[in-house]
Amino acid sequence: MNSRIISENNKNDFSSKKIKSNTSVQFNRIAFIFFFFFVIYLIYTIHLIHLGLRKSNNKPINNFNSISTKFQRADIIDVNGNYLAKTVSSIDVGIKPVDIIDKKKLILSLKYIFPNKDFVEIEKRIEKNKFFKFERRISPDNYEKIMKLGDKSIVSEENVIRLYPQKNLFSHIIGQIDDGNRGISGLEKSLNQRLKDSNDPIRLTVDKEIQFLIRSELVRYQEIFKNKGAAALLMNVNNGDIISLLSLPDFDPNLRQNITDVNYINKVTKGTYELGSVFKSFTYAAALNEDLIKPETEFLDLPKTIYCGRFPISEYDEKMPSDLTAEKILIRSGNIGSVRIAEKIGPKKFKLFLEKIGVLGQINFDIEEIALQKNLEFDRCRLETAAYGHGITTTILQLAKGYSILSNGGFDIEPKLIKRKKNNEKKIQILNVGVSEKVVSALRKIVNTEEGTANLADVNGYEIAGKTGTAQQPIGGEYSSAKINTFVSVFPSSKPEYVFIVMLETPKIASDYVYTLRNNKGTIKGTPRNTAGWTAVEVAGKTIEKIGPILATKSLEVEEK
Amino acid sequence: MKRFILTLIIFFLILSTSLIKNTTKKIEDEIYNIKENLRSLNSQLEEVFFEYIYLSSSEKLLEFQLLYFEDQLIPKDISEIKLITTKHDANTIEDLNITKN
Repeated sequence: MNSRIISENNKNDFSSKKIKSNTSVQFNRIAFIFFFFFVIYLIYTIHLIHLGLRKSNNKPINNFNSISTKFQRADIIDVNGNYLAKTVSSIDVGIKPVDIIDKKKLILSLKYIFPNKDFVEIEKRIEKNKFFKFERRISPDNYEKIMKLGDKSIVSEENVIRLYPQKNLFSHIIGQIDDGNRGISGLEKSLNQRLKDSNDPIRLTVDKEIQFLIRSELVRYQEIFKNKGAAALLMNVNNGDIISLLSLPDFDPNLRQNITDVNYINKVTKGTYELGSVFKSFTYAAALNEDLIKPETEFLDLPKTIYCGRFPISEYDEKMPSDLTAEKILIRSGNIGSVRIAEKIGPKKFKLFLEKIGVLGQINFDIEEIALQKNLEFDRCRLETAAYGHGITTTILQLAKGYSILSNGGFDIEPKLIKRKKNNEKKIQILNVGVSEKVVSALRKIVNTEEGTANLADVNGYEIAGKTGTAQQPIGGEYSSAKINTFVSVFPSSKPEYVFIVMLETPKIASDYVYTLRNNKGTIKGTPRNTAGWTAVEVAGKTIEKIGPILATKSLEVEEK
Repeated sequence: MKRFILTLIIFFLILSTSLIKNTTKKIEDEIYNIKENLRSLNSQLEEVFFEYIYLSSSEKLLEFQLLYFEDQLIPKDISEIKLITTKHDANTIEDLNITKN
């Protein structure tokens, strides 16, 4: 009995265990399936939520992904978004003669699509039985037609090319690349890696329309004054944005020429020149900044000639009065007066001032083609000649920087070609308060008074202020008759916004050119003197007349934006 | 009962998973199509814009002007350009200045 009971108990126990075990297995299996489907459900639900939540990808799509990243290069655009350099895909079509089935039929079809091609030559090339390029950069229409022929001997090859749609207009800024997609000059060189690494276009500060108008005027006057070369720079004095930068002669980067002629250098950034009297403004400003003079400070008994060692320094204008105020020395462009002002400053302080405003020393710029500046010894003789812009050289770019600081209230700026996002960098004032106003006031009188040397630039409505500079070019260690004529203008003088420099290299007298004098003062036929006042000033005046309304309208548009 | 509920949930999970999977597939297909269309439209836009920039460049416009019009282009003096501002249906006319006011 006991045994039975035990047996039953055992049986019961066993049975009970078995049932329990079965339930557990079944439950675990269902739980596993539940878990499995729950995980899949969860994954897809998360994916669905992710798809629903993700933002649209507005990044520019790379059109060349499908072709090759080897020749990838970002576009360069102007301030208004116009292409200055663009990488585009193109298709070349070639013929593999070994794969031609019906030669006559193929040639007939090709003649129909390309009626202007020389098919005698093409037939010769087919007979050579070697692959050849039939049509480079084929148009989309012709590509479609030729591929519809369905001939397996026709082989297409996709590649990319760098185009410069503005041709010569921005050649000195953009530069060019070689066949290996390496920038060899201009921004193509200095931004080489950045252009290769990213597809985002690089926006510049330059304006295509303004650049075109300035170039047109430079080219027009190059024919009139027969100058060897020319340069122009238009820059915002408050933020250093370069609106236009031109150097003539220029070149078409689409032609990929190997340029070795030194006359093709960038005359704004690379060319260094003795720029003459335009330096007198710096002499005047340095003395004002050191509080050594006031505009009305008198300089009496100024001689007509002084000597720096054995070299004479004399006045260009024989009628220059002997007694002049500091301001009148600048307005009438007195050489001896400027020397006297510089003597008050002293060589060390004058050199430091020129370095502070960026006229001397190395400049940081967005393109690599910048001039290497020598560290000049500033002895007494150098001081005297530098006071009126001789024995000292600089670039047009550095001259623009200097004049920008003189006219913007004395704040430091850096000229730039690449548009930066608005930054809240604090402006550093490097000139004393009031110096800028006094300099601009004197510069305005150079343009709008009879005594001034730049009356031809007194364009109504723009309040142009400026300074002329006529410098003889040194050739073989001696000054020659060839001149560099420069005019630096700042406008409007009541609230300076722009600095505009025109430089003409070796201009000649134009005997047939008719000058229309400003303020209804009649006309003059022929260039009276081969000086900046009759050449560079005329070019600048006529150019500002053309670009002025556009600049005024654009500054309004910017304000509204 | 417990089994029935579990089976129901599993059935529901299978159904909803297949539904969601189908939906995500459709959305992904749509995204792919839109992306491809955008790629080609973007490329077309760039080409057209590039052509437009070339054809509307100052150089080209002057060429067309010489070709199709006999009139000469006359530069405008800044004093001839006026700024019209409309406020409360009333126009105010001001001179255009080179300075930002």
